[in-house]
Amino acid sequence: MKTVEEKSKAIQKAALVFAIGLSSCATTTIDEFRQGQTGIEADETIVILGRREGSSFETDSDFVECVGERMGQGDNSISVVPEREFIDAMFPWFEPRNAPLRASDLERFMIEDIVARKMDEFRIRYMVWLEGETETDRSGSLSCAVGPGGGGCFGLAIQEDDTNFDATIWDLESLRNVGQINAAATGTSYMPAFVIPVPLPARVEANACNRLAVQLKDFVNGS
Amino acid sequence: MKLREIDGLTFFKGLMIHIVAGLFVSCGTSNVVIQGSFPTPAINPIPLSVAVYYDDNLRNFSYMEYSETGREEINIESGSSHVQLFDAVLPAMFERVITVNSMEDPEIEGVDAVFAPAIEEFQLALPAKTKLEVYEVWIQYNMRLIDSEGDSLADWVMTSYGKTPRETFLSVEDGINGAAVVALRDLASSFALNFARIPEVRDWLGSL
Repeated sequence: MKTVEEKSKAIQKAALVFAIGLSSCATTTIDEFRQGQTGIEADETIVILGRREGSSFETDSDFVECVGERMGQGDNSISVVPEREFIDAMFPWFEPRNAPLRASDLERFMIEDIVARKMDEFRIRYMVWLEGETETDRSGSLSCAVGPGGGGCFGLAIQEDDTNFDATIWDLESLRNVGQINAAATGTSYMPAFVIPVPLPARVEANACNRLAVQLKDFVNGS
Repeated sequence: MKLREIDGLTFFKGLMIHIVAGLFVSCGTSNVVIQGSFPTPAINPIPLSVAVYYDDNLRNFSYMEYSETGREEINIESGSSHVQLFDAVLPAMFERVITVNSMEDPEIEGVDAVFAPAIEEFQLALPAKTKLEVYEVWIQYNMRLIDSEGDSLADWVMTSYGKTPRETFLSVEDGINGAAVVALRDLASSFALNFARIPEVRDWLGSL
């Protein structure tokens, strides 16, 4: 005859085995399209900017920051000017209403001596525009309850994430578009709960960020 | 046993106070004072001496958002942030800028023009009402440029728009503030870069 405590431990063990069986995963695909030669000097920098003109969504600044941070780490790291610092220093030229939509628009910007001077101060060689979002679809059922004797959760919550980001790279020396990289990632996160919820995140956006940063770094370095 | 009863009663009273307080909070009007930082524009100044006049309507501008049942829901105060924005933008746009407290201020005599902005309309869109994942703010302005004699040099309408995405731990107040700050930056960007392209302004600048 099992005690209540033994039964509870058995349920938790079963939950752990079930959780391991679910094992969340993410799949990431990278596509690169090169339109020109690239390369960067040690004293040159790049800036990564998120597109925010659209009315239905805007590129998440956390994702932009993540890609920038990853590019600044590891072998062949590249110096990245933080997005907010750049936009504030260039105010109002890179606000959503005025930001250049095509590489050819940069000529109009660089005619302004004040813009050209600030670009030179930052030593920016490449401007990378990121555009995309993560779409989330939730299903399953998980409910929690608390009573005088304690509380607990039961059920299974499922979250499917679909991330898609396009990076467009402009060369500020030639004022031309030199390539595009697309990062697409999908994955399913699970949260089974037998008394205690066990989150099993798929880390879809983090994977897309890491892979895109590595690819961008190689692209800019010309390797 | 007596002690336990008292504890239970105290707990019950505390719970009731919190529930009643929560009801009052959820039924009351929340107040949002727009706060943000506005960088100095990187533009070449126009060689003009301009006085700026912020009337009381602009300085104390606030907008009340009503619930679907007509109850006062959110009061948004944006007057001081508008003054802060123009104070950051105008000195970068013109060679000399002074602030005057009335249109009769004697300092007006020595300037090329007096700039008097006014807010005509303020609109707010909340995710709870639009079912979209963004907070949105629209503001419509009436910009007026007057000469030292009080005659109109230019009078035009401008609109600005700002949005900020809804996030898990972002409060409604922070969402509104974020969207309003983006709208204010949008105003500054459009005003600073397009000022000399407004037909009446362009004609006036050409006549100087």
